Amino acid sequence: MTKHENERKRTFLLITIPILALFICFNTIPLIRGAMYSFTNSRGFGSHDWVGLRNYIDLFSDARVGKSYLFTIKLAIVTTIVVNVLSLILALGLNSKIRAKGFFRGAYFLPNILGALVVGYIFNYFFTYIVPALADMTGMQGLSSSILSSPNKAWIGVMIVCAWQAIAMNTIIYISGLQTVPEDVYEAGGLDGATGWKQFKHLTFPLIIPFFSINMVLCVKNFLMVFDQIIALTKGGPAQSTESISYLIYNNGMSGGQFGFQSANAVVFFIVIVVISVAQMKFSSSKEEQL
Amino acid sequence: MKQTSTVGKSNKTVLVLLILGLSTIIFPLYMTVVIAFKQPSEMTNSISGILSLPKVWSLQNFREAMEVTDFWNSLKNSLLISGLTVGLSILIHSLMGYTLGRNKSNKFYNFVYLFIVSGMFVPFAILMMPLAKQTAEMGLANWFGVILLYVVFYMPMNIMLYSGYLTNIPLALEEAARVDGASTWLTYWKIIFPIMKPMHATVAVITALAVWNDVMTPLIIMAGSSENTLPLAQLNFQSQFGTNYNLAFASYLLSLIPILVFYLICQKQILNGVVNGAVK
Amino acid sequence: MKRKGLRSLALAVGLTSLAPAVWGCASTSDGKIEVEIVQYKPEAANYFKTVEDAFNASHDDIHLTISSPNDAMAILKTRFIREDYPDIIGIGGDINYSYFVDADILADISGYEGMQNVNEGYLEIAEALELVPTEGTYILPYAANAAGILYNREMFEEHGWQIPETWDEMLALCDEISAEGILPFYFGFKDTWTCLAPWNAMAVELAPADTTKQVNKGQTTFTKEYGELAEKYMALLPYGPDDPFAYNYNDACTAFARGESAMYPIGSYAAPQILSVNPDLKMDSFVMPASDEKESRTLNSGIDLGFCVTEACENKEAAYEVLNFLYQDDTLQKYIDAQTSVPCKKGSFTLPAILDGMSEFIASGNMTDYQDHYYPSEMSVDALLQTFLIEQDKDAFLKNFDTSWQRYNRDIIRMVQDYEAAHGSAE
Repeated sequence: MTKHENERKRTFLLITIPILALFICFNTIPLIRGAMYSFTNSRGFGSHDWVGLRNYIDLFSDARVGKSYLFTIKLAIVTTIVVNVLSLILALGLNSKIRAKGFFRGAYFLPNILGALVVGYIFNYFFTYIVPALADMTGMQGLSSSILSSPNKAWIGVMIVCAWQAIAMNTIIYISGLQTVPEDVYEAGGLDGATGWKQFKHLTFPLIIPFFSINMVLCVKNFLMVFDQIIALTKGGPAQSTESISYLIYNNGMSGGQFGFQSANAVVFFIVIVVISVAQMKFSSSKEEQL
Repeated sequence: MKQTSTVGKSNKTVLVLLILGLSTIIFPLYMTVVIAFKQPSEMTNSISGILSLPKVWSLQNFREAMEVTDFWNSLKNSLLISGLTVGLSILIHSLMGYTLGRNKSNKFYNFVYLFIVSGMFVPFAILMMPLAKQTAEMGLANWFGVILLYVVFYMPMNIMLYSGYLTNIPLALEEAARVDGASTWLTYWKIIFPIMKPMHATVAVITALAVWNDVMTPLIIMAGSSENTLPLAQLNFQSQFGTNYNLAFASYLLSLIPILVFYLICQKQILNGVVNGAVK
Repeated sequence: MKRKGLRSLALAVGLTSLAPAVWGCASTSDGKIEVEIVQYKPEAANYFKTVEDAFNASHDDIHLTISSPNDAMAILKTRFIREDYPDIIGIGGDINYSYFVDADILADISGYEGMQNVNEGYLEIAEALELVPTEGTYILPYAANAAGILYNREMFEEHGWQIPETWDEMLALCDEISAEGILPFYFGFKDTWTCLAPWNAMAVELAPADTTKQVNKGQTTFTKEYGELAEKYMALLPYGPDDPFAYNYNDACTAFARGESAMYPIGSYAAPQILSVNPDLKMDSFVMPASDEKESRTLNSGIDLGFCVTEACENKEAAYEVLNFLYQDDTLQKYIDAQTSVPCKKGSFTLPAILDGMSEFIASGNMTDYQDHYYPSEMSVDALLQTFLIEQDKDAFLKNFDTSWQRYNRDIIRMVQDYEAAHGSAE
C-alpha cells in the first residue's frame, strides 16, 4: 500500500513540475516583467525613468479609472446573473427530450462564433435604427432614441450583447454538467414524486454545483475583463460612460503613451479579480461540502 | 402512463420556447447573410433597405474576400494553430487537471491549483510587451510560439473545468485498477482519460473557439512575418476611415463554417454521458 | 548629453539581446539588399503592393518589402520593444511621430537630397511636431489630408446656395438650408474621433497653431484659447441630426452619400467610403469659416503619411533609393488619386476633384496643422469633446481640458521646461 502511495505521489509530482514550469515561464515571468513597468513612466518603447510609486498614487486619484471600475463591476454583476439564469434554462431545455436537438444546439451556439466586427455592426444597427423604429410604432417613448447614445443607458446595450454572446458557452458547460447526473437519480426522485422545479432544486442543481461555480467564476472574470464588445459597440462612449478597465488599459497603455501608468492599473486590477474569484471559489466549495 | 403524458406536454412548451428564443439568433444571421451578398452601393440606413434581399445573388463577394485574405493559406495556418492547440490542451490540461483535482486536500497541490487558476485573471495587456520580447529572444516569434502561449493562456480555465468534472468521477474506479497492479500513469490513460470524453469535447470547443477568433496573440507574436491567420487577414477589411462590410461579412461567414462543423462533431461527444454507464 | 547616453544604452541592449529576429538591412542569400517598409494606412495596401512590385521589377540590387498591416501602431511598438526595426516606417505626423523622435528611433534624414523638393509648409509642420526643438529632420512628408466641409454639389447648384466665407454667412446658409427642409449637416459622433473633425477645422482659425506648446510653457491656458471655439462648436449642433451620438462614422458617410444632408464636416479621407455607397455623388469641399474675417481663413491640413528611416537601418543609401522611387512625381500622383489626398511635394500635381474648393489654399500654402496632432491619444480629447457636446457645459469642459492636459502631459511639460531653462527663451 505505501509502495503504491509513493508511486502515486511521484507520478503526480512528475506531471506537475514540467507543466508548472511552462506556466511560470510564459505567464508568471512576463507578468513580473510587465509589473516592473508600473514603476516607470514608460510609453512602451524608447527610454523611461523610474518614478517609484507615483503611478499607484495617481491611480487612486484618477477619476477616469474610478469610473471605469464602477462601470465594469456593475456590468459584470448584472451580466453574470442574466447569463447564468438564461443559460441554465437553455441547457435544461436543450438537454430535455425534444425534437431537432442537434439543430437547436448548433443554432444557439452561433452567437459565439460571429466575429466582433459582425456583432458590432449588427447590434449598432439594431440599437440605432431598429429599436427606435419599433418603439415609435408601439408608442414606447423611452426607447425612441438609441440607447447607445445615452450615457445612462449605453451600458444596457453592452450588457445585452455580452449576454447574447456568452450564453452559448455557459450553456455548453451546463450541458456537460447535466450529463454527469445519472439517470437513476431522476428515477429515484420520480418515485418520491419530485417533478419540475422541485426536482431541479433538490436533485439536479446540487449535482451540477461544480459547474455552476465554474460558470460563475468564468462569467465574473470574462465580464470584468470585457473588451471586445466595448470595442465593437461603443468604444468607451458616449461621454466615456462605457470605458471598461481592460479597454482603458489597452487603449491608453498600448495604443496611447501611458504604458507605465496602465501597467500599474493592470497590476491592481489583477489583484482585485484574484481576490474576488478566490472568494467566489471558497464560497462555492463550502457550499459543495454542505450538500 | 400518467408521467409520460406530462413529459410530452412540457416538451412541447420547451420546443415553443426554444423556437421563440431562436429569433434572437436568426435575425442577426439573416442580416449577416444578406449583407455578405450585397454590393457597397446597396447599403443604406433605412430599415427596409437593410433588410431587403440583395439585388443579385452573386458569389462575387465571397470570391473577392477569399482573394484578399489569401483564404486557403490563412485557413491552413488557422487550422494548424487551432488543431495543435486543442490537441495539446486536451493532453496536457486534462493530465494537470487530474493531478490537481485528485490532490485538493494536499496544501502544495491546492496552492498550485490556485496559482495556475489565478493566471486566468492576468490582463493580457500587461503581458503583451514582455511576451513579445521574450518570445523573440527565445526564437519563438512564429506559429509555434503562438501555440505554446495558447497552451499556457487556456491552462487555467481548462484545469478548472477538468478538476471540476473529476469531482463527479468516483475514486473507486481508479482503486479497482490499482488493485490489479496498474500504475497511476497507466490507470489515468486507460480509465480516467476516456471517461472524461465529454469534458474533452467541451474543452476542445471552448479552446478551439477562443483560438480561432483570436487576433491579438498572433498579431503581436507573429508581427513582421508574412504568415496570416484568418482573423489577421480579416483585419484588411476595416480601417478607421472606411470598412468594406460586404466583403468582411462574406469573409466572416466563410471562416465560421469550419468551427461550426467542429462544434457539431464535438457536441455529440459532450452528450455521451460515459460516467453514467461506468458508475453502474 | 542625455540623448547620447540613451543611444549607447540602446546599443548595449541591442548587442546583448539574443534576438534572432533582428532584421535590419541585412543582405539576402542572393546578395540583394533587403529594405522593409511598414506603413500604417491599411486602406492604401493595394497602392503599396503595386509600388513594391514596380520597385522590385526595376531594381536588381535591392529587394523591397512593404507591409500595410491593420493596427500598425501596435505592431510597430511591439517590434520596437523586441529591437526588431523595419528600415522605413510610414506614419502620420501626429503625437506618435513626436514620441518616436523623442525615443531616438528615427534617423536624421536632413542629408537626403529629396528633402529639397518638399513643400516648406509641411517641413515646418514636421518641425513643430518635435516635443523639443532638434537639429535634424526625421520625416519625409509624403501626402497630406485636408479637413473642412464636404458638400453635395448637385444640391447646392439646384438651390443656388453660395459657399460661405465667414462664420455669419455659414450660419445664414445653414438656416437657409433648414428652411428648405433639408438637414444642413450630418454628424457621426458615436465614433468619438469624428468629433475632432469640426473642432480641428475651426481651431486652425480661432486658436494659435502652437496653443499646446504655449500651454506646455505655462504661457496660456486652454480655457483662454478654446473658449470661442467651444461656443461656436455648440452653435453647429442644432443643424445636425436630432441625436448625432446615435450615428457612427459609417452611418454618417452613408447618410451623406444618400443625400440626407447637404454638408458633412469631415476630412478628405472620407471620400472613398462615401463614394463606395454612391459612386455618382457629386461632391466638393470648402474651408470651414470660423470667424468674421474672410482673410483669416486657413486650411486645416496635416501630414497624413510620411516616411521615416529608422536609426537601426544599416544601409541608408538603399533606403534613400526607395524614398526616391516613392517620391517620383507619377508614383506620388497615383497615391493622391487613390487616396484623395494632397501631395507634400512641390511641383504640379492633379488634385482630386473633391478638393477643388480648397485648391487655392493648397496652392498658396495657406495651411495649418491639426490641433489634435499635438494631443496625446491617452487623454482622449475626442471623448472629452463628445462629453462636452452631450452635456453642453462649456466651462466644465474647458476646465477639465486644462486639468487633464496637465495630468497627461506631466513628463513632457517637465521636459519642455527643462529645455527652456537650459536654452533660454531664445525663440
